[in-house]
Amino acid sequence: MIEVNDLRKSYNGSRGLDGFNLKVDKGELFGLVGPNGAGKTTLMKILASLLVPDSGVAQVAGMSVQHNRDAVKTLIGYMPDQPGLYQDMRLREFLQFFADAFHVSKNRQPATIDSALTRAGLRDRSDAYVEELSFGMKQRLVLAKTLLHEPKLLLLDEPATGLDPIARLDLRRELQQLNAEGVTILISSHILSDLEDICTRVALISGGKNAADAEGNQVIELRKTTAVAKIYEVELLDEAAAASQSAAATGAKVISAEGNRLLIEVAGGKTEAAAVLRELMSAGIEVAGFRQQSSTLEERYQKAFGGKRR
Amino acid sequence: MNPMVRKELNLRMRERRGWILPSLYLVILAAVITLAYYLTALEGRGFEVRQVQGSEVGIAMFLTAAYAQMGILLLLAPIFSAGALTIEKEQRTMAGLLTSLLSPFQIWWGKFAASLLFVLLLIVSGLPMLSVSFAFGGIGPWEVFMATITTVIALGSLSAIGLYWSSVFRRSVHATAVTYATIIALTLVTFIVFIIYVAARHNADSWQSFAWYVKGPLYLNPVFFLTMSFAPARELYPEWIRCLGVFVCLGLLATGMSLWNLRRGGEVV
Repeated sequence: MIEVNDLRKSYNGSRGLDGFNLKVDKGELFGLVGPNGAGKTTLMKILASLLVPDSGVAQVAGMSVQHNRDAVKTLIGYMPDQPGLYQDMRLREFLQFFADAFHVSKNRQPATIDSALTRAGLRDRSDAYVEELSFGMKQRLVLAKTLLHEPKLLLLDEPATGLDPIARLDLRRELQQLNAEGVTILISSHILSDLEDICTRVALISGGKNAADAEGNQVIELRKTTAVAKIYEVELLDEAAAASQSAAATGAKVISAEGNRLLIEVAGGKTEAAAVLRELMSAGIEVAGFRQQSSTLEERYQKAFGGKRR
Repeated sequence: MNPMVRKELNLRMRERRGWILPSLYLVILAAVITLAYYLTALEGRGFEVRQVQGSEVGIAMFLTAAYAQMGILLLLAPIFSAGALTIEKEQRTMAGLLTSLLSPFQIWWGKFAASLLFVLLLIVSGLPMLSVSFAFGGIGPWEVFMATITTVIALGSLSAIGLYWSSVFRRSVHATAVTYATIIALTLVTFIVFIIYVAARHNADSWQSFAWYVKGPLYLNPVFFLTMSFAPARELYPEWIRCLGVFVCLGLLATGMSLWNLRRGGEVV
């Protein structure tokens, strides 16, 4: 659905994108992760045909976003990181304007607008002015507007920013439902747990280029558990510092030893972990707890971008 | 109907300035015309007016009204046009417009039509005041028509220039300031340059004898354009026609550059 090859874009000398590559399959819910200034918004804007790249290829459904702007616009729904609204408009008026702007036929408009209002949970407030809505409601209204022309691809730039936890959960459910209905979604977010729970894959971006996690993956498959090394938290009765040497002797990599908590990385599966635990106990170390920590997206993000502040 | 035009008109007429500005405009225009009447028709001391009031009163009232109208509209036009696109950038709605199926021309036309229609509303509401001079003679429908059409063309062109600056800048305050600067350059600077040149020659050459580069800047002057519209119908060529050409070209140039800016609109969203 999306194919990006060696995409470059610079603004007044500074690089927005510097040879970025991406491939998103049809029907995917794909995440884009990177620190501030990594180039996420630039990529989204290019795909939404708002920006013209300096070089490289950006295609949506096999069409160049540069050369087939109108055709691409009918396929995509773009929600910018700070979406704007006409505060002096009533909700129905606002949706009517964008239904006209997206050439939704006049006879389909009432049903389309009613369904958008219902989907956004704003049906009973259709005559209210936009300025009267809460932030979460406004965000739902923008998403409803973005979906008016039934796009096949949704480009969502930081859609959860500023939303409260309940609104974030609602947004996640909405996106999962849309994805189940066949809409391909590319979503960038700083709230990594949002991406982790709903995305099938996540691409890492930094400095306008593809970035890789500690294991060298540029695209992380979130629905697969193929981690070669797993992290275990060992709770001890004594000081962890004393046990760290014994732990290292077992072949495990000591990540941290603070208080009576030891964090180790063990290569392999449960058998190798059990062997490490056995070795620790046979070395006379009293272990009170031994738990595996899942390698979360947040941890992989920290490993990939931990040292970079932009 | 272009959805942009409908949206713009709806939103503009909902604003407080939608009724404050026309009211203020009519009050000022009425005051200026009344003042022109008394200044022309007063006789002796006090507020006694002449018993016989002829065409000189009508002509004075009409000319005062026409120039006052142009002056007021030159001050008001940037308010409508210069903020038209920047407001979309400021409230972050421009991305929504540019990613919709509206073409850059439809977006521009919506903004331009709304700006010009508001100016037209003011001009049409002021027409009865311009027509008061009919009662005194010396002025006919042709003069009123020419003054009105000239004002509309000049204001249309200046609205297009305002929209161009609006497509360049991100902030309304910057676009409005530069639009006012442009209007000052076109009205006052061209006039001052002409006066300096004529004064420097220390002779009373006729208008026809001035070289093209002396007269040239004045063709950019909307007040000069209005003055030329008062010429008899057979004398509209060359001066009024040249002014018309210049203002139409200015408007088209500003439109073309605005559309080019809108096509690469994402760079400034």
